[in-house]
Amino acid sequence: MLDIINLHAEVEGKKILQGLNLKINKGEIHSIMGPNGSGKSTLASILAGKEDYEVTDGDIIYNGESILELAPDERAQQGIFLAFQYPIEIPGVSNGYFLKEALNSINEARGKPVLKPVEFGKLIKEKIKKLKMDDSFLKRSLNEGFSGGEKKRNEILQMAILDPIFSVLDETDSGLDIDALQIVADGVNSLRGPEKAFLVITHYQRLLDYIVPDFVHVLVNGKIVKSGDKGLALELESKGYSWLEG
Amino acid sequence: MDKFAARLVKSFNDKDLGTHDLDWVAKYRSDAINLVGNLGIPKLSDEDWRFTNLKDFASKDFSTFSGNEATFKKPKLPDHISSIDGFFIYTHNGILVSDSDYPFSFSKIKDSFDTPEIKETLYSQVSDKNKDFFYELSSAFIEDGIFLKVDKDIKIDKPIVIINSFDSEANLKFINSRNIFYFEDSSSAEIIEYSVSNSDNEYFWNKTTNVYVGNNSKVEHLLIENGSKSSFIFSNLKIIQERDSHFTTNSILCGGSLIRNNVHPMLNGEGCYSNILGLYLSIKEQLMDNYMFVEHLKENCGSRQLYKGLLDDSSRGVFHGRILVHEEAQQTNAYQTNRNLLLSDSAQVDTKPQLEIYADDVKCSHGATIGQIDKDALMYLQARGINKKKALAMLIRAFTDEVVEPIDSEKILDVFHNVVNDWFSRSKIMN
Ligand SMILES: Nc1ncnc2c1ncn2[C@@H]1O[C@H](COP(=O)(O)OP(=O)(O)OP(=O)(O)O)[C@@H](O)[C@H]1O
Ligand SMILES: [Mg+2]
Repeated sequence: MLDIINLHAEVEGKKILQGLNLKINKGEIHSIMGPNGSGKSTLASILAGKEDYEVTDGDIIYNGESILELAPDERAQQGIFLAFQYPIEIPGVSNGYFLKEALNSINEARGKPVLKPVEFGKLIKEKIKKLKMDDSFLKRSLNEGFSGGEKKRNEILQMAILDPIFSVLDETDSGLDIDALQIVADGVNSLRGPEKAFLVITHYQRLLDYIVPDFVHVLVNGKIVKSGDKGLALELESKGYSWLEG
Repeated sequence: MDKFAARLVKSFNDKDLGTHDLDWVAKYRSDAINLVGNLGIPKLSDEDWRFTNLKDFASKDFSTFSGNEATFKKPKLPDHISSIDGFFIYTHNGILVSDSDYPFSFSKIKDSFDTPEIKETLYSQVSDKNKDFFYELSSAFIEDGIFLKVDKDIKIDKPIVIINSFDSEANLKFINSRNIFYFEDSSSAEIIEYSVSNSDNEYFWNKTTNVYVGNNSKVEHLLIENGSKSSFIFSNLKIIQERDSHFTTNSILCGGSLIRNNVHPMLNGEGCYSNILGLYLSIKEQLMDNYMFVEHLKENCGSRQLYKGLLDDSSRGVFHGRILVHEEAQQTNAYQTNRNLLLSDSAQVDTKPQLEIYADDVKCSHGATIGQIDKDALMYLQARGINKKKALAMLIRAFTDEVVEPIDSEKILDVFHNVVNDWFSRSKIMN
């Protein structure tokens, strides 16, 4: 599904990714761990198509085609989703309106019929309930005044509604209490399927008890320095990163 | 006397405006034209005109327009205006051309000088120490504007829609519109003013409206300035509010190469409230200069100024927000906010608050921001599949909508959204 080949990227002249290779197949869950500043969010942003980053070498192939030239909205329409590490607040745009516009855009791009207001209302009510969120939140401005955990939950709600094919979760577990973690993990697990794939960025192996990855990778200085199975996360938990930083 | 003022004084004399059957009219006009000559056209060195250079404007030779009602043809209006279910009134090149039977009265000012409310309103300038060139000019040439009156206890249930149309006869002309809107006690009305030009005419429109809002009255006013891109527009709105009255004005400025927009509410009775809202939408080389002056004269009143600017290309905006709380005006709440979004690197805005408070029990605040479209917000929306144009429109809509939050009238809201969308679809950032 996704093939990242020798990816080099920089921001404002600073080299961040330095030859990153990663292959993710349908149905797989991959996890990336690594020290602060190693480039995890940079990779996530580049996958989503954020402008500020310049890819200087390498390629990203998604479903057989390079996506480097695609705008963020085109990538989203093709099923790529990024749950941001720091979801931003957008005053004046209500959650409900935003979700409707987003879903309509994606359905339209996929040639699916645009949902009628009643159908949309039903869908959203159901997902909100699943994520144990409050109905009133639909009227509120997008992420405005949300607590850290509420913002993360909102990312998962968006994921649940937009039903992406390939999802990147950037530290979605940070700032969540235990119950919320369970809810978020359930949200992710219910989206799993043979046609879907996930890339889960986290600092804590605890999340991986809930969302069990097929592969764990360690990113250091813009490169994957070690890959393994779930056991690697446990090893990192006890040993830290210094033994990999060479 | 500068050349510009001298020409105006000459045409005043040519038209013999200093003579009138009613002595007070003759005196009112003559006093005003003397001030026009003495003050002269404002210069950059005038504190109130620091950001707006009138040199190019003053070098032009605008001749006085002698009305021609005969050439009036109903202007082509966008659907969102023509479809309003309201009481339409037309002015053509500054002259009232409508005559209909509505649940309120209206006529040319010059035909109603013997109505006591006119003299009363013109002379009850509660405080008027600062003389303004354009205000005096409008007083000197007071003649063809609208005198509109809503009687006591009358609630006008449909918007009053005033269409100010201009055609090529207005080109290089000085057009003076002096209006008086008079709302007797316990009346209510919505007024929508819309100006439109059939082509790119270069006219000098000096427009002053004195509004009187009686005890307990409620007035909502929407002004849409959509005139010719080459016109020079000097708009003065002076409002006297009496006890427990409620006044909301919202200006949307899109037309004009230069607009000076003065709004001056005088809260002259206890318990009144004033909402002074505005949105300036500028492109190309337009300059939009907003001068707000909110004057609290009595106890227990509130006011809120909220002006927002969207500036594209190399256009410029100015916001000057003055709040004056007189000694008597205890328990005043006065708020002021000015927010600007620069849509291009060459757009520019100057914002300046000015607070003068002489009462001790007062809540006053002001704040101003100048920013750009938030790239991260745009990215966030796009990352959810929303295309860039749509995402921009959402962010801009979020920005502009705050300006209509205090407005109750559904019709006014609807017109507002249509005007903003229309402007936005033509702006450079969307094309
Ligand atoms: N816009 C930017 N301008 C300058 N430097 C940047 C920018 N974005 C990222 N960086 C730098 O790139 C490096 C990688 O940042 P990134 O956010 O990808 O790290 P991370 O692995 O996600 O870290 P964390 O675990 O703390 O979230 C950091 O040194 C960061 O300071
Ligand atoms: Mg990060």
